[in-house]
Amino acid sequence: MVMFMAFWAELQNNIYTNIFYSGRFFLYMKGLLITLNIAFFSAVLGVLIGMLIAIVKVYSVQNKGLKPLNFICDIYLTFVRGTPMAVQLLIMYFVFFAFAPATFQIPIAIIAFGFNSGAYVAEIIRAGIQSIDRGQMEAGRSLGLTKNMTMRFIILPQAVKNILPALFNEFITLVKETAIVSLIAVPDLTMAASLVRSRTFNAYVPLFFIAIIYLIIVVGLTALQKRLERRLAVNDQH
Amino acid sequence: MINIKNLHKAFGRHEVLCGIDEEIKQGEKVVIIGPSGSGKSTFLRCLNLLEIPTSGEIWFENVNITDKKTDINVLRQKMGMVFQHFNLFPHLSVLNNITLAPVKLGLQTPEEAKENAIRLLKRIGLEDKANAYPLQLSGGQKQRIAIIRSLAMNPKVMLFDEPTSALDPEMVGEVLEVMKELAKEGMTMVVVTHEMNFAREVGTRVLFMDEGKIVEQNSPTEFFSNPQNPRLRDFLGKVL
Repeated sequence: MVMFMAFWAELQNNIYTNIFYSGRFFLYMKGLLITLNIAFFSAVLGVLIGMLIAIVKVYSVQNKGLKPLNFICDIYLTFVRGTPMAVQLLIMYFVFFAFAPATFQIPIAIIAFGFNSGAYVAEIIRAGIQSIDRGQMEAGRSLGLTKNMTMRFIILPQAVKNILPALFNEFITLVKETAIVSLIAVPDLTMAASLVRSRTFNAYVPLFFIAIIYLIIVVGLTALQKRLERRLAVNDQH
Repeated sequence: MINIKNLHKAFGRHEVLCGIDEEIKQGEKVVIIGPSGSGKSTFLRCLNLLEIPTSGEIWFENVNITDKKTDINVLRQKMGMVFQHFNLFPHLSVLNNITLAPVKLGLQTPEEAKENAIRLLKRIGLEDKANAYPLQLSGGQKQRIAIIRSLAMNPKVMLFDEPTSALDPEMVGEVLEVMKELAKEGMTMVVVTHEMNFAREVGTRVLFMDEGKIVEQNSPTEFFSNPQNPRLRDFLGKVL
């Protein structure tokens, strides 16, 4: 009992010094903001890149003029999927943006993650479009609609229902993956824990604390995604 | 109305259509029958270029539609098509299924298109389904709506690709009924089907396809009572 009391007192003390003491809570919160910031904007960039690639992929099946562009996309996809994210981040920072001022770490991280995410988003969108029965395209075309009109009015509205939940998943993955941005000295949530750890020489409180924060965010986003999926299923009169 | 000259179609090295010459005149109801794999669906799908022929020409109202310069989208507006699996748009209500193409192509105002759609729905007795979604309908209802969706474009010819093959037996009748009515009104029709009674009653000419060729053709009475080609005899012996 006495031992437990002593342990409890020490834990309380550790929690206080590692989380609240000398504005450390704000350090974490600032880190969290940066984490979410990077995740959000790289998701936006990823969606833009992913859409472009998906368009090239879907249209190059028939349009031979797009073959060179399709080839470039293939190289990009192979590179992004075939190398570690950490290596891509380092290449982006130390090679492509070697000239950039040191204060540009966050935009560079966003670009690195955006380019990475784009490859996966492209696959999500392509799969979403191709999951629609080809009879839908044929029916649209047989009515005299152009390929673009059929895409816009018939294929995409149906594909979105498959694409949106998967995109949300990609965002959740990004929130977790950005934990490696401290490699290029971005003060994100994980970096905040490292900073505190190096001051207090205590590992478990800061690390469990940020683990819980990540967990709360991911669980919250997952719940949101489930709701989104249900909403889409309701609109869908299947 | 439709002139087909030496039509060939191959998928890779597999030749599906091996030289078809045919003329379909205005008001004809041409029924195409044949064993599966004979190329009858491919032939039909070539007529509106859902399949691109490997060689040969197709002329529709004196326009060469196989010419690369022809705008196939404009020609397809005049060629309705009904599919085996209906292919209604599941995310749109019945009404919007019917009005989408005429409105988006600028052929009818939304009001005109809606009026027209309701008129067509009344004709097949489904006006109460205007706001329903395809998945709330039976197969027979879906196919009847697919037919009037094509009719909403005021086509000059209707192509039917095994329109009753995916239906439960008790729903075949209602779809054939709509097609018969359409035939009575003088619509030019090309129908790929296994419904021999339909071929007999409605067809003005029946074609028998086998291995990518039209092997025999005749008026329905002659076709069924006096088949010449041994393969046709064999086929009719099995299906009748």
